[in-house]
Amino acid sequence: MSERLRGHGWHLALGASLFFLAVYPLVSDNLYYQNMIILSLLLAVMGSGWNIISGFTGYVSLGQSAFLGIGAYTTALLSVRVFDGASPFWFVPVSAVVAGAFAAVVGAVLMRTRGHSFVILTIAFLFCMQLIVLNWSALTNGNHGVTLPLPQWNTDYQDWPFYYSLFALMLISVATAWWIRRTKLGLGLLAIREDEHKAGGVGVNTPIYKVLAFVASAIWIGAAGGIYAYYLTFIDPRGMFDIIVSVQIVLAVLLGGRGTIWGPVLGAFVLEPLNETTNQHFGSGNERLIFFGGLLALVVLVLPRGIIPSVEERLARRREAGTAAEVGTRLERAVSPSDRAAPSPAPGGSGRILLEVKGVEKRFGGIQALAGCSVGVEEGTITGLIGPNGSGKTTLFNVIDGTMRPDRGEVWFDGQRIDRLHTWERAHRGLGRTFQTTRLFRGISVLENVVAPLQAFSWRHLATVAVTGPEAERAEELLDFVGMRRFVDRRAEELSFGQQKLVELAQVLMLDPKLILLDEPAGGINPTLVGQMAEMIRELNRRGTTFLVVEHNMPLVLGLCDPIHVLARGSCICSGTPEAVQADPSVLDAYLGDDYLLEREAVGG
Amino acid sequence: MTQFVQVIILGLLIGGVYALLAAGLTLIFGVMDVINVAQGALLIFAAFVAWTLWKDLGIDPLLGVLITTPLMFAIGWAMYMLTIQFLAGKPASMSVLLTFALALVIEGTMGILWSTTYHASTPGYFAESFRPGAFYLPKAQVYGCVIAVGVLTALYVLLRYTWLGRAIRAVSENVTSARLVGVNPKKVAALTFAVGVATTGAGGSIVSVLYPFLPGSHYQWISRLLGVIVLGGMGSLPGAVVGALALGVAETTTATYISPRWATMVPYVLIVVVLLARPQGIAGVRLREDAAL
Repeated sequence: MSERLRGHGWHLALGASLFFLAVYPLVSDNLYYQNMIILSLLLAVMGSGWNIISGFTGYVSLGQSAFLGIGAYTTALLSVRVFDGASPFWFVPVSAVVAGAFAAVVGAVLMRTRGHSFVILTIAFLFCMQLIVLNWSALTNGNHGVTLPLPQWNTDYQDWPFYYSLFALMLISVATAWWIRRTKLGLGLLAIREDEHKAGGVGVNTPIYKVLAFVASAIWIGAAGGIYAYYLTFIDPRGMFDIIVSVQIVLAVLLGGRGTIWGPVLGAFVLEPLNETTNQHFGSGNERLIFFGGLLALVVLVLPRGIIPSVEERLARRREAGTAAEVGTRLERAVSPSDRAAPSPAPGGSGRILLEVKGVEKRFGGIQALAGCSVGVEEGTITGLIGPNGSGKTTLFNVIDGTMRPDRGEVWFDGQRIDRLHTWERAHRGLGRTFQTTRLFRGISVLENVVAPLQAFSWRHLATVAVTGPEAERAEELLDFVGMRRFVDRRAEELSFGQQKLVELAQVLMLDPKLILLDEPAGGINPTLVGQMAEMIRELNRRGTTFLVVEHNMPLVLGLCDPIHVLARGSCICSGTPEAVQADPSVLDAYLGDDYLLEREAVGG
Repeated sequence: MTQFVQVIILGLLIGGVYALLAAGLTLIFGVMDVINVAQGALLIFAAFVAWTLWKDLGIDPLLGVLITTPLMFAIGWAMYMLTIQFLAGKPASMSVLLTFALALVIEGTMGILWSTTYHASTPGYFAESFRPGAFYLPKAQVYGCVIAVGVLTALYVLLRYTWLGRAIRAVSENVTSARLVGVNPKKVAALTFAVGVATTGAGGSIVSVLYPFLPGSHYQWISRLLGVIVLGGMGSLPGAVVGALALGVAETTTATYISPRWATMVPYVLIVVVLLARPQGIAGVRLREDAAL
């Protein structure tokens, strides 16, 4: 009940604020405040855009104000040089398109880097644009700037056209962010933010997602630039391609709440009035630099998540105070999933080789991690892969799933050569993988984690709802299977290690993979769970899934896998049934050790 | 031909100064994974201090190195203790935002203390040149390069032959192992940051003689230095030296044969091309987090 009231209160406040903004110019002719709101709306539009690439996708850009400049110059040059005398408002949509086109080209290039490098490249992009506009004076009039026509409308209307066009643009920007957040595209972006490599591994075509996010984050900033240029009636390169504007964008969103829908707007309406006030009190640029620099440092260090998430967290904590934590309670008994449409082949090997690794070599500096490794996995089997630490097991997994390219050799899967394909292309062909230390998308819910995998890429698919009904049903079925259904709404980072392992298994099952690579499924979890895990693997195998399992728990491997490959010093030294492998002298020598036989005899195994 | 050789020599002379400055930046990155975007602002700050010492006390700006270096060391240490150390556990991009914020604060402070107009130290030898054969070598540039190489050598000796140097290299290789063998990573990080910032002391003193500067000049300097370390390979000291010389030559040739206006563009183009074609730079090791597959 209180939850609903709180929701109502929030919507009420939001509705009242929007209503106030909508009628303000009609009831007040105070131009000072009108100007302040216009600049706040402009910052809100830019913040909403930045939020898509930096809040959702996790790529922090300090060059987003370049799109304001690109939009401003597009509108200004078109209305002054090409269609002399036409109202600049006509060219605002063109500004949006031009900014989007720039973002597509620049994004395709910049998005190949991440972390520090990406931030630095965005700064470089901004300064490059400024220099080009400054130096290409034949087109842009360089240093002297461009003067736009003055507004022609009746002065009774004050700045209404600017005010309402930016108001509409703010609503459009927020709607865009809201729409993206609830589509497949948005879910993919969040997955990229949390763990980009893992996102690729579950079938997300990361480059396309990132470039789309960059374009979406630029178009409305470009449109706003067009309106802003007309509002100012004079633009120059230094004012339009200003790094301080980028800083204000970042500040506004960090203040309001990175990754939230209304946070950028809230932040803009907090920051812009602050900006005006400091302008009046301090005047010149130096004090403003200190003020904004100090504020940015403070926000990064003290309030990195922003106002809205911090408040929400505090409220949530108060609500949950007293109720015992559910995490860590007994796992529900695993039940088998309902029958799937696909016909299951008979258990045991079918005789067809599903995965074949041929003579793969991989070298890291002086270390030969894989030295001509050849391994085959027969369809329908649970194949084991054992070997001492450093023998190349994980490297082999990395080569198979596409994390690394082999120096030499081939990988064939389901009749196709895959060693040149991207990770997501391999996922689309039915290759799934879990990790030794689990890699769920930590900041999103268990349900979203399980739904995130994609079996194919399609443009139309991007725009569909993030979690469709059938998908949620299927996800809950899979979570039921691994005994984690009760945790659907938990954030992944709240789960224990063992629970994360189970969710990661459900997640990879969502791909409906032909082959699953399991990296130490029993590593670091309690013995009861180890037994359950083995049962689940057997059950899935009966239903037609092939497994390749890396594991150090010998009783588990010997009881579960057949055949077993033994890796040592980067190549496969022995393959065969559990009995054959245990008896092989080279395996005892390289991995199991002489003690193994003695111990086994002592316990009567 | 003479002109070409002349241009190359000037490029190498200025490249020597870039090398010193980039060394500080790349040292900090190598040890703590922080790109100190404020390095340019600290450089200009040191230049203003050297200028003041010269103007008010008559101390030769190049001799002022002896004062600016310890001063910048202290400022670097304070910066680490007050802000940078709290970055631990935050995403890499946050460190860029924080040091950028500090750069803005320093820029504003300089504007208040020294106003936002161009300054330059002009000691007696400012306009003089050595003239071996057909070439001319401005004295200020020669002295500047000599001092830069001297400080750079001292830095190399420090890293190579002292306990602090070994500790710094240990932490940059593996923080956990360093802690296990008795190195306090936080102390080492603070000292590294201070040493890295101290290089701006000598650098700023030299820059105050070589170029007119104002508080806003730091944008251009930081992009130059980033260009250098990206080119050389982030975290690599020898790479920074090679990258610095290459940038120096690229700038002087662009200014001479194309236009001085476009010379400012060289570092940006360099950054973009290198990060895309060879993200690990000349001497760097490619880190998985630096580039998408």
